[in-house]
Amino acid sequence: MLTDAEMLRYSRHLLLEDVGELGQKDLKNGKVLIIGMGGLGSPAALYLAAAGVGSIVIADFDCLEVSNLQRQIGYNTGDIGGDKVALMKQRMQQINPEVRVRSINTEMTKEQLLMELMMVNLVLDCTDNMASRQMINSACVDAKVPLIVGAAIRFEGQLMFFDHSQEDSACYHCLFPNEDEQALNCSNSGVIGPVVGTIGTMQALEAIKHITGLPSGIKNKLKLFDGKTLEWQTFVINKDAQCSVCGNPK
Amino acid sequence: MWKSKVKINVNEQPIELDEQANIEQLLTFLDSPLKGSAIAVNQKIISRSEWANYKLQENDQVSLFQAIAGG
Repeated sequence: MLTDAEMLRYSRHLLLEDVGELGQKDLKNGKVLIIGMGGLGSPAALYLAAAGVGSIVIADFDCLEVSNLQRQIGYNTGDIGGDKVALMKQRMQQINPEVRVRSINTEMTKEQLLMELMMVNLVLDCTDNMASRQMINSACVDAKVPLIVGAAIRFEGQLMFFDHSQEDSACYHCLFPNEDEQALNCSNSGVIGPVVGTIGTMQALEAIKHITGLPSGIKNKLKLFDGKTLEWQTFVINKDAQCSVCGNPK
Repeated sequence: MWKSKVKINVNEQPIELDEQANIEQLLTFLDSPLKGSAIAVNQKIISRSEWANYKLQENDQVSLFQAIAGG
């Protein structure tokens, strides 16, 4: 049962046939790990806290810099120099004191990440570099934890959902197998705030749908967002049998 | 000897290739770095392990894009 206070707070969810009281209870029982508290992680964390996801773990080891504020909407100018996860945790609890937030402000090894994955049902990859993305993917494949990946630079966004609880799921490495490549990032290419915000918001939307048991239209798909035309392209990703992370290479 | 050609589109630009050309040959033709690229043909991602054997056909819509890591 939801409390009276929860009924009020989540009344706009309860009006939705697709969410309702059952969906809200699913959200309350939801356990999500969000890795990266930048331009993707800001809206993702704020929306999931607001939506009442009961247990949220946020991870980042950066301190807030002035150049982050152009797009990382969870923070204020007065926060510069502070730990992002501490600042974001405080902000999430101001939005919604009903949710439990735990913060991790160290760079995780794969072993640490695998420990964390035992305690969640979903991961959002909101990081800013290829090495982290590959490690998170590999850990989620090993732990069979669903993974929603977002990325953005310039006016371009990428969004993917790999449900590693399913045996036939493709993985990030099937799509981008070069682990050591210098992929484009915000600090070397620039980014427009609302584009990275759109992708982070879509990650939150997909997370809410997943937790409440609504079907996702983007599993094993790559969505490319063009911030100039506002067009989305959709590509199907099939599991690569030769993938060194999720396949059975000969 | 004259070789027959196929017409394809790469990121919506028309391109003519030798018949039987595969994806690796397309990337060489485009002088595009193999690293960091993903390729879709007709909205389906082609795994890198298939590039050498995947022959492009007339009217194929090829999308070539890079991994982006920013967040």
